[in-house]
Amino acid sequence: MLADLIQNTLDGLTGGAAYALLAVGFTLIFGVLRRVNLSYGAAIMFGVYFATWTSLNFQVGLAALAALTIAGAVLAGAYVERLCFAPHYRSRGSPRASSGSIAAMVASFALWMQFEEAAILALPKHLYAFPPLHAGEPLRFGQFFLRVEALYLLLAAVAVCALLHTILYRTRFGLAVRAVIDVPVAAQLAGINVSWVFVRIFALASAIGGLAGFLIAASHEQVTPMLGMWATIKGMLAMMLGGLGSLPGAVAGGLVLGLLEAHSQWFFGPQMRDLIAYLLIFALLALRPAWMTRWTSTRSAS
Amino acid sequence: MDEYSIGVLTNIGLFSFLALSAYLLLIAGEMSFGQQAFFGVGAYSGGMLTAIYGVPLPFAALAAMASGALVALLVGLPTLRLRGLYFAMATLAAAEMARILFELLHFQHEIDGELVGPDGTQGFRGIRWVFERGVEPLDYLAIVYSLLVTVLAAFLLVERSRLGVTLRSVGADPELAASIGVNVNRMKLGVAAAAGALAALGGVLYAHHNTYIEPRNFDIMLGVHSLAYALIGGLGTAFGPLLGVLVDLGLLEGTRVFQGYRMIVFGGLVAVLLLFRPRGLLDERVVHWLRARFS
Amino acid sequence: MAKSALFLILGLLSFPLHAQRVQAGLACTFTGTDFVYDCVVRLARGGSPLAGAQVTVGADMPSMPMAHNVKPAKAKPGARPGEYEARLDLEMTGEWAVKLRLSGPVRDQLVLHYEFDEKGARPAARPAKRK
Repeated sequence: MLADLIQNTLDGLTGGAAYALLAVGFTLIFGVLRRVNLSYGAAIMFGVYFATWTSLNFQVGLAALAALTIAGAVLAGAYVERLCFAPHYRSRGSPRASSGSIAAMVASFALWMQFEEAAILALPKHLYAFPPLHAGEPLRFGQFFLRVEALYLLLAAVAVCALLHTILYRTRFGLAVRAVIDVPVAAQLAGINVSWVFVRIFALASAIGGLAGFLIAASHEQVTPMLGMWATIKGMLAMMLGGLGSLPGAVAGGLVLGLLEAHSQWFFGPQMRDLIAYLLIFALLALRPAWMTRWTSTRSAS
Repeated sequence: MDEYSIGVLTNIGLFSFLALSAYLLLIAGEMSFGQQAFFGVGAYSGGMLTAIYGVPLPFAALAAMASGALVALLVGLPTLRLRGLYFAMATLAAAEMARILFELLHFQHEIDGELVGPDGTQGFRGIRWVFERGVEPLDYLAIVYSLLVTVLAAFLLVERSRLGVTLRSVGADPELAASIGVNVNRMKLGVAAAAGALAALGGVLYAHHNTYIEPRNFDIMLGVHSLAYALIGGLGTAFGPLLGVLVDLGLLEGTRVFQGYRMIVFGGLVAVLLLFRPRGLLDERVVHWLRARFS
Repeated sequence: MAKSALFLILGLLSFPLHAQRVQAGLACTFTGTDFVYDCVVRLARGGSPLAGAQVTVGADMPSMPMAHNVKPAKAKPGARPGEYEARLDLEMTGEWAVKLRLSGPVRDQLVLHYEFDEKGARPAARPAKRK
């Protein structure tokens, strides 16, 4: 029993690290732009498919594939940013702002549809092989297994967090970002080019997503067009669990989600696994909205 | 009219119910990713009543609407305090829970030597009440659209009434509405129940049109699609969501030119449209202008 | 319209015209062009082949509802009684829900889940759960 718990925890860390990375990207966009980007997962899938197509037609190494995935995701993200979010930058803070945010979100959903169809047109089969991250045996600690991919994912999550911390607290850009998060109007008055901050944050979030996508595809060793939907849902769930708008919360939320899923699946099966996660989110939202909104208490989420 | 076109038109009608359901919540100020759950509740409950218990479709439809309203209240009550994205995520979680519950639903009776009823992920086949009574596709189309027209008439009546104005005021600024004495919570619950019943009606009709439903039919894509239809058609009038459904299913399914590229075209259209019209084609300003011109 | 109203009223009161259920099987081969399949539908009712029906074959992908646009194809009677041939133009491989709409002597609608790949179609084992 205890052995199961420990093994599940180890398994959950793999999924959890992936979710953490996804949640961080979502949170960056939500925390700074105050918008939900529904095509985040789809842009990641675009990057992954770009890399997959390349790996099917050329011989490329893993590092190149990672770079391609990130590049593809950033490119897709830029397209989304320009078309859905940039046009609404001017009207922030105005009475029409909330309709702008719904419109931006639905527009990002529309682009998600585009990415999905483009991916299917380019690679029509339902499943494609992706080069493995680590071809070999998992690590053994006594009777427990830990996949090496988990370590890569955890390492990536830690590295991304450290990077973000450095950027946010040690660079002028980070200072501008924090100013924009706290009081956008004052930041603008102080001369910060808010639009430019948004563009770079979006690119950063897309890059993180691309990295997450590469690691996920390589550790599953396969890609399907459902990756976009999956990444979006899991990223949003993890972001919610950790409290919207908080980066450490995003990481924590991702890990918690991963652990919760691993344990639920072991004891109750795959359907209950998802059911329990959704139930938890629903219950948290219903019972403790203050806890969920603690990072966004000065502004509404709409 | 060939059977394919009848099918397309019927689908437009069916999904209009769902789009109207999302629209109702939107004008009351709430964005729901979960209306597809009530669509599913209507489909499953209506289907079970007619296929397993032989309940005539009109009664089954009423029961389906009641169950849709009930489940909507189950979701709406705990989430009363939530706004914006939080509410949206709660509805998404609730809808996915409903879908998983459909996957876990195994309830089959043996009728005439065959097992009839929902069988989890294998789906629910044999909802053939309509087929068994020889209702032609054209007749069913007429039934769907008669009901839709009735619903539209109700919407138009409400929009012009005090209830409609109160509803929109709750949607635009709930604090202000509360300060002039509107019971915001009761309005929200009423809207949630009505929207749930509406989606459920669409669902039961969908189940009997298709004769087969499975949990995957009621996933998040359906929900976000219905939200998109309501938004791009316009939030100014109940014709807006219908327009949204028509644009996707009608325009693009009808034109063979876009075979294989339909989502790319539709997605691009929606994104560009929302740039210029964030509240949709028939938004409040257009509707006011139209009313002023023609009255 | 009056006809449909009459049917509704009759439907409330009458018993169903109990048609025996139709059984269907599907066999498809890949034509070589993406992603067109030549399919043979076998229909039987009560154990004997069902001939003379008008069959329309459509398809939708269960894991991505409403995302595809496959035009339903009218099937021609095949070599043997109870067999019908149709050409399906799908947009990708994977699991499809093939919808058979029958009119003529028998009105019915059947949905079959088949897995389509580069060779042809096999019955889908269980509808695959999304990740």
